[in-house]
Amino acid sequence: MFSVIKATFVRNTIAMYRAYPWSFFLGHILTGVYTVLFAYFTYTYVFKGSLDPRFKIYAGSNDYLSYVILGGALYSFAVSTLMNVSRSLITEYREGTLEGLLISPFSRKGYFIGNVTQQIMRTSLEFIIIVTFGLIFGLDLSKINIFGAILIWVLSIFSFFCQALFLGSIMLYFRDTYISQNTLFFIMSFVSGVTFPVAYLPDWIKPLSYIMPLFPSLTMFRSVVIEGQLISLHINDVIHLLVLSITYLFIGSISIKHMEKRIIEQHY
Amino acid sequence: MLIVNDVSKIYRTKQRLGWFKSEWQENIAVNNLSFKVEPGQIVGLLGINGAGKTTTIKMCSTLLEPSSGTIFVDGMDIVKNDKKVKSIVNMIAGGERMLYWKLTAKENLRYFGSLYGLKEAELDHRITSLLREVGLDIKSNIPVEQFSKGMKQRLQIARGLINNPKYLFLDEPTLGLDASIAKHLRNYVKELAKEKGKAIILTSHYMKEVEELCDEVLIIDKGSLVMQDKPERLTNLFFKENTLKITVSEIPDSLHTKLNNEISQNKGTWQIQSTDDDEYDLIIKSEKDMTNSIVSLLAYHNLRILNIVSEKPSLEDVILLMSERTSA
Ligand SMILES: Nc1ncnc2c1ncn2[C@@H]1O[C@H](COP(=O)(O)OP(=O)(O)OP(=O)(O)O)[C@@H](O)[C@H]1O
Ligand SMILES: [Mg+2]
Repeated sequence: MFSVIKATFVRNTIAMYRAYPWSFFLGHILTGVYTVLFAYFTYTYVFKGSLDPRFKIYAGSNDYLSYVILGGALYSFAVSTLMNVSRSLITEYREGTLEGLLISPFSRKGYFIGNVTQQIMRTSLEFIIIVTFGLIFGLDLSKINIFGAILIWVLSIFSFFCQALFLGSIMLYFRDTYISQNTLFFIMSFVSGVTFPVAYLPDWIKPLSYIMPLFPSLTMFRSVVIEGQLISLHINDVIHLLVLSITYLFIGSISIKHMEKRIIEQHY
Repeated sequence: MLIVNDVSKIYRTKQRLGWFKSEWQENIAVNNLSFKVEPGQIVGLLGINGAGKTTTIKMCSTLLEPSSGTIFVDGMDIVKNDKKVKSIVNMIAGGERMLYWKLTAKENLRYFGSLYGLKEAELDHRITSLLREVGLDIKSNIPVEQFSKGMKQRLQIARGLINNPKYLFLDEPTLGLDASIAKHLRNYVKELAKEKGKAIILTSHYMKEVEELCDEVLIIDKGSLVMQDKPERLTNLFFKENTLKITVSEIPDSLHTKLNNEISQNKGTWQIQSTDDDEYDLIIKSEKDMTNSIVSLLAYHNLRILNIVSEKPSLEDVILLMSERTSA
């Protein structure tokens, strides 16, 4: 398995240097930057700094700008991870290399882990750029619990990775990337508490929030970064995130295998 | 040994009937096919377009699961033991797929080799020798997208050998290759079977290739096996006749009786056609090759022979005949 991780990592790095559509990179950063700017301007000029009193109760903090900036940054990080991993197999299919892969006894775990570790370099860079930009517009990191933030970061990568496997099999099923990914990203941005607390949502939408790993991940990340809280205060969220990850991992790895077979059968 | 036992493959495809209506259609691509391939043997799969050759090859190489029947490789079921089987089989298809265009030849082979869990040192060694074998050693550091079609195809061949497979499936491997490279490849394939003991299945639309390489030929039509034999025996089965065409400047009437006697003794038929150049073609069809006796007869009568063509039926004729029969 390790050799496949390494080989996939190296392969993707080479391909990235030769041919990565750098507009993707810019696009991801801009998504985050736009969220920050949008929040900043509406907060400053539309609400004139006055916040709905419920916000403090729902969000556990008064710092709306930090809230939105972290939301935007983690959202675009989730989107990058989801996109890079979920598109990997369908890209092989489109480029005609899927059969070369499937004819070998390759380790799927190794393949996907290689893909995700390779792209973490790039997505982390995107994340750092967005956060740095956020600092200019009022992100407050003075109380940050660094250790907790890193731990949640790692857990979140794992959960986005698992969700990506599931998304990947949907893409293979519909042989589409554009509609599947953008539908998911739209729903995610709306229901996971990216720009406003989930508590504002009507009850019938809330089940959607609970199946998005981004939701517990954001809740924890914010309290650890903005309030400097300990993770031990958020055991429920940790469990929530882990249960979602394992469920997605389970469904995703079964369905992706199934979809591989299907796509090979239907295409010639 | 590869044992294909009563294998069928049914493709199910959705047929659109209208906006919301669709219906499943079944297409039997391979129909109760059975055959065996032993180490060192090259077996040819022949058949017209759509006969089911690629489908058979994809099943043998684990890419497709049979709808029914079993395939065993070295005693292992290819569905139940797919990981183990995958490590000793490989497939090479004609065309430009199965390669990463952004990577160089070397990087491609390195990546595919790692999927088989090969150790670095062994992989390095194998890559070097494979690239030399397919004549790409001096181009090994150029991205594949800058390769010509033939170069991609040769790299594809190296890819198919990266795990040193015991079983190799070749689906039109010389498609689009120029004559000299195709010839080189044929020699190489022969060597892989005869010297390295690999079991090989080959499909090709170049009959010469099949005749030259294969120890045994399976002719399939609409997914079913119609004939299975050595290539020379197959042609004999369908065509018992040799055709001999001798061009002469004249044929005196006095010779007709003698010719007739000689040819009918051999149960042959003959005719004379005059050509545009005021010459005559003597065309003789017979089971036995009559070149010697006819030439000496003509020489005895001091006739000048301008040209001799002796034609043996080829596998190509067999396939043509078959497709005429099925479409009739
Ligand atoms: N993925 C698929 N889905 C549905 N039908 C298919 C599929 N692949 C092949 N077929 C059908 O199965 C039959 C056999 O196809 P196959 O590709 O095996 O033929 P072939 O002998 O390789 O032909 P060719 O000489 O053209 O390569 C054909 O009728 C083809 O239309
Ligand atoms: Mg074919």
